[in-house]
Amino acid sequence: MDRSKALGHIVLVSILLVLILPFLVLIIWSFSQGWASNALLPNEFGLRGWRYLFSQQSRMLSSLGMSILISLVVTGFGMILSIPAGKALGLYIFPGKRLIELLVLAPTIIPTIAVGMGIQIAFIRYGLADTLLGVILVHLPLVLPYGIRIFASIYKALGTKWEDQAKILKANGWQRFWFTSLPFLYPGMISAGVLMFNVSFSQYFLTYLIGGGKIMTLPILLFPFVNSGDRVMASGLSLIFILSSLILMLIIERVITDSEEKTNVYYL
Amino acid sequence: MSYSVKREKEDRPVKKLLRILLTLSVLLTGCASNSSVPTPGQVQNNPLDKEWTTILSEAKGTTVNFYMWGGDERTNTWVDAVVASSMLKEYGVKVNRVPMGPDEYLNKLIGEKQANKQEGSIDLVWINGENFRTARQANLLWGPFADKVPNYQNYVDKTAPDIANDFGFPVEGYEVPYGKAQFVFASDTTKVKNPPKSSAELLEWLKKHPGRFTYPELPDFTGSVFVRQLMYELCGGYQAFPYTEQVNKATLNKQLQPLWDYLGAAKGYLWRQGKTYPSSIAALHQLFADGEVDITMSYNPAIFSGMIEQGLLPNSVRTNLWNNGTIGNTHFLAIPFNAANKNGALALADFMLSPEAQLSKYEPKNWGDLISLDVNKLDPQSLKDLEGINPGIATLSTEELQTHRLPEISAAYIPVIEELWKEQVIQSGQ
Repeated sequence: MDRSKALGHIVLVSILLVLILPFLVLIIWSFSQGWASNALLPNEFGLRGWRYLFSQQSRMLSSLGMSILISLVVTGFGMILSIPAGKALGLYIFPGKRLIELLVLAPTIIPTIAVGMGIQIAFIRYGLADTLLGVILVHLPLVLPYGIRIFASIYKALGTKWEDQAKILKANGWQRFWFTSLPFLYPGMISAGVLMFNVSFSQYFLTYLIGGGKIMTLPILLFPFVNSGDRVMASGLSLIFILSSLILMLIIERVITDSEEKTNVYYL
Repeated sequence: MSYSVKREKEDRPVKKLLRILLTLSVLLTGCASNSSVPTPGQVQNNPLDKEWTTILSEAKGTTVNFYMWGGDERTNTWVDAVVASSMLKEYGVKVNRVPMGPDEYLNKLIGEKQANKQEGSIDLVWINGENFRTARQANLLWGPFADKVPNYQNYVDKTAPDIANDFGFPVEGYEVPYGKAQFVFASDTTKVKNPPKSSAELLEWLKKHPGRFTYPELPDFTGSVFVRQLMYELCGGYQAFPYTEQVNKATLNKQLQPLWDYLGAAKGYLWRQGKTYPSSIAALHQLFADGEVDITMSYNPAIFSGMIEQGLLPNSVRTNLWNNGTIGNTHFLAIPFNAANKNGALALADFMLSPEAQLSKYEPKNWGDLISLDVNKLDPQSLKDLEGINPGIATLSTEELQTHRLPEISAAYIPVIEELWKEQVIQSGQ
């Protein structure tokens, strides 16, 4: 017994190490001043990166705000669109269902670079390029597959029996959704919300293509530093990126979770 | 049974929705093709027909969107703090720096060109080399505007080969130079009393000090410049490599025979007999710092002063050029075809070429970028200020660099030279 317990501890610790070590490296890099390639630790520490990131020039805070705004709106709309779509795909059989399922998944299969230019030209024509609305619209198809898949599998597992029951009790369509189906959807809403938020939050290519530098998000700020190999700056920005998405994910989870009965069921 | 009936019922709204969506998308595409036709009379009034004072007064109160690579915090800070505040004070123009490099903004401009968008969001870009050529060939730039910029007229040596051409491609007034970089060698003066200053001297030095020199393996950027530097010396200078789009590998190989002979003769005297090369310039700098080799090199003439300051190199390290000059390149500013604020872009370009901005950019603590102006055209006060700036203990003076600068050749040669180097130097030696 003791031996298996010890083994369990070892496995747990090594998993934690694998997860935490990269963070540690990021933290050390963000505070380093000079780090020779063959040294274990930086030979000098400093605040160059952090001082710049929190200065007005870096525009870190404003682009963080923009990132959060875009991702929250995208997650909200994504939720509104993917619950009914998930219901349709999970419960009903209709002609062309396979095709629609494929089309829904398409944004995760087709590389965005392949369609980016076409989208850009279309958006310029509709006057959506360089606008906030354009960026939100272009993020939506990217997050929908995750939401729709999750809700489709929940509805498939759920079937129609609960709503049928409510129907017998004369509940109208809205009541059936709000009081009968929605509570079953909470855990799925958490997974879908977190996924959709993250996909939108880390989007670089389409944001710069459609936002055109007018819509500044965190990844757009981060990319040039990663690209030019400024590790101090890139580490600092990455930490801000990771922390803010972590905090927001926790908030999303809190907001959606029903406080009375916390379910631990995840439909992924 | 009951299931199938219900499903059929539920089926209908879905179909209806699909039908509505289809109709909508057809309608939308119909509208789109209508709106994409450019309306006549939309053509902007052209700043090239206006007086400079009119341009400046019209620029007042506007915002210029300046698109530049944003990966260097010192450069960003210089633009945001020094340039933006001076522009606001002296021209009344706001500067909005957008951290977007050439790969990205060229994509955007190509898209806007295809969609015939006449009012773009980019007013001024930082560009050079291959990207400038791409932009010109796709008609993405507005101009020629250089002669309209007073500071270009006053301070720039327009006929200098590294300003009239950008990596061999004729500039023709579609961009103005705002900074420069130049290839330099570095060595520790306590170890190397007389650093070699030509290809012949280098070979002689190598024979006396075997194993004390090497260069980064191509296609490393700096290693590639070093090989071109030798090529200039041995194969007839940059004039022997006229501008071209298409390079014939076999012909070039024949032309480069003296270079291959030289590298073949030198190989045995290199670090580890040339059996292996440092993989990057950072690795070469490390070998140099560790005392494994005596000479290193860089395309950034101010980098060694910085490394001394950081304590990475001893105080006695100095840079040097070759007698016949070293390769340099220029970075430029250009205005896109659909810049919405061309007046503001011209004002910003003018300020960037002013002695004031150039001197502040040259200050090592601001950026340390070389000035793009002709020092002979500077007024006495600016010249005095320039001489007053300490570029760093190991950095050469602007005059010395400027009088020893050779232009880059057409970018089309570079990958072919790198390929040939692999065949001639790496593979033939085994």
